[in-house]
Amino acid sequence: MRQLWTMTASDLRQRVRDRSVIIFALVVPLALMFVFNLTSGGAANLTLKPVTVAVSAPAGDDLATAITATLTQVEGIDLTVDEVSADDARSSARSGDAELGVVIPAGFGDAVRAGKEVVVEVTEGEDSGIESDIVLTVVQGVLTQLSAGAVTAAAGAGAGVPDAQLAALAQQAATQAPEITLTQGEAASEQLSSSAALIAGQAGLFLLFTVGFGVLGLVAEREQGTLARLRSMPMRPWLIVTAKGLVSYILGVVATSVLLTLGSMFFDVSFGSPVAVAVLILCAVAAATSLMFIIARVARTAEQASVLQSILALLLGIAGGAFFPLNTTGFLDVVVGLNPIAAFTRGLGITSGGGGLGDIGVPVMLMLGFAVVGLAASRLVPDRGRDL
Amino acid sequence: MRAARAIAAVELRRFLRDRSNIFFVFIFPLLLVLVIGSQFGGDGGNGRVAIAGADSELGTAIATALVDDGVSVTRGGADSVRQQVARGRTDVGLFISAAAATAYDAGAPVVLEIVPGAQQGSPATVQRVRVAVAGVTVERGQVAALVGAGLGEDAALAALADAEAATTPPELRVVDVDRLTQEFDGLGQFDLGASGELLLFVFLASLAGSSTLIQTRRLGVMARTLAAPVSAGQALAGQALGRFTIAIFQGAYIMVATSLLFGVSWGNLWLSLLVLATFSAVAAGAAMVIGSVLDNDGAASGIGIGLGLVLAALGGCMLPLELFPETLRTVAHITPHAWAYDAFAEIQRRDGTLVDILPQLGVLAAMAAVLLALGTWSLRRSMARAL
Repeated sequence: MRQLWTMTASDLRQRVRDRSVIIFALVVPLALMFVFNLTSGGAANLTLKPVTVAVSAPAGDDLATAITATLTQVEGIDLTVDEVSADDARSSARSGDAELGVVIPAGFGDAVRAGKEVVVEVTEGEDSGIESDIVLTVVQGVLTQLSAGAVTAAAGAGAGVPDAQLAALAQQAATQAPEITLTQGEAASEQLSSSAALIAGQAGLFLLFTVGFGVLGLVAEREQGTLARLRSMPMRPWLIVTAKGLVSYILGVVATSVLLTLGSMFFDVSFGSPVAVAVLILCAVAAATSLMFIIARVARTAEQASVLQSILALLLGIAGGAFFPLNTTGFLDVVVGLNPIAAFTRGLGITSGGGGLGDIGVPVMLMLGFAVVGLAASRLVPDRGRDL
Repeated sequence: MRAARAIAAVELRRFLRDRSNIFFVFIFPLLLVLVIGSQFGGDGGNGRVAIAGADSELGTAIATALVDDGVSVTRGGADSVRQQVARGRTDVGLFISAAAATAYDAGAPVVLEIVPGAQQGSPATVQRVRVAVAGVTVERGQVAALVGAGLGEDAALAALADAEAATTPPELRVVDVDRLTQEFDGLGQFDLGASGELLLFVFLASLAGSSTLIQTRRLGVMARTLAAPVSAGQALAGQALGRFTIAIFQGAYIMVATSLLFGVSWGNLWLSLLVLATFSAVAAGAAMVIGSVLDNDGAASGIGIGLGLVLAALGGCMLPLELFPETLRTVAHITPHAWAYDAFAEIQRRDGTLVDILPQLGVLAAMAAVLLALGTWSLRRSMARAL
């Protein structure tokens, strides 16, 4: 036990003195988190901004008024309707005073009733966003309804319904449709906010680099001849390998904990229950370390090992959503789900949504399963470097 | 110059012989362009809706209306849809119970549960679902109104079909679309990702290669080169040219491969190559600075990769510059990436001419001159330093 600790401690000391572990495990991921957070800061805002719509509607046109009236009643968005002239509607959208300028032409109502071509023109402002999309959808919906009423009236006229009843017919088309009510349900959120997803993703990605500083040291020591010397010492050979694994594990746990803690402090996000998060970290580091044992067996030289490590880290990181959430479905989704980084991020999503130890079973099993399979595979794959 | 060219040729050969580069230089950039293009470049831009419930007339009608509106629709079981919403895999979940489907078939009022996700696009998608759902019952309302006026159901349907054929529905025309839409107009699915990746990888490959400069010094290659009839200036020029050649090679490969495989349009080829060459000179200069200031190749490759990723992210290679907040877009222009990004945008999207990209080329050339001078100076000094 003393030998194990001596080797582990000496390695850890060496790694901390070697600046590269600090750079890879902490500096680069933190810098990336900052930059990503800055760049996506504008896009991450979830609340809908208030919008102003400048509408020009012909006076005394009841169908045009219907559009304006519907706009004032849009749910879930703070919408101000300014009634202005046609030129003002366009110019205020261009100048940014309004997000949208809607111009309903003169004779709109008559044209709709007669089924003649008519165009409602919308000018989108410079920084129109999702709110404008919502307004556009609403206007399109009203136009469809108005047109349906006009078609009904025309159909009635064609079938000999008296003229006096036609206006009522158009109204009835809208009111007599069987009503479909939408009730809004709540979804359990297992999603990380965009800032939290960045922190989790970068922590997961760089974990795969950090754990390399322990286990992959085996390959470097073999090249330098220090491994042979260690083997000549009066101790069991597995102690050497275990010590390297322990170095990886300690570095991984420390680095990931620091990254998640600093990240959640700097960017004001919470990952939820600290105990559950700690369990996730322990499992993720185990999975990542097991992968390094495979690389250590397959690689002949330290350079090969570091290349293999970078390739696997980047592939697993990207597939795990370290840079952007990946939208996968079907078989691909299952494959991506087996990825320990994806499982780690998913687990953090569950804990940040309020889940506790009992809820993270699936990601924990995935990561532990990966660790077990990884360790078993590392014993089975051919040892291309010998003596490991 | 011949000595410098020979040194540069050796550097390129060494770069190509390194088998680890096969993945990072030839495969990885294309993989990223493919992933980014398929994730962000496609359409279906009007949101994603997952509909839960057994096949029903109501479900099909709503799905058809949504698809017509440009929304991508998936069907699934209730549990799977709830999970998809929770995990952000869809913007909105719509639950059609068996009771709702039966009520719809019977013409009775229907209640559906709608569950919006927590992501940014969800509110707009919810609105699209509302409109689609409202539209589904329109025809029934029309028929009901006509039947109320004394027509038979068949006669009502026939009259509606006639009236519909004779009617032009009012059109909603969006003019002067916003800046972003205009900015990305005319870009192919993979175009935006490709120019970003090009800049990212040219810089990253150069900086990560800075550790070879340290090895060159450690193994005494520089000292031996100088023992040959080669002046210090020639040796330094050779190193600079070597870095530059590798950067250009990486960039040109990405340009050729993306245009062949993904049909990426690089606009005017000569102008694009000119931007690439200037940007490569900046990357070569930066690599020389790192490779001569640092003496530890582990730290150099760490800093190289870190700096390569950070600068690329800040310079608009991961998230388009146009989506940055205003101040940050200004700050981003301390990176060469942002200038090159602007130049590519000018060439690819607006058919820019040489005159249009002169400002960007000027800034890049100035950056390259400063970094190459600094790199040469510090490399010359570092040769006198023991490793």
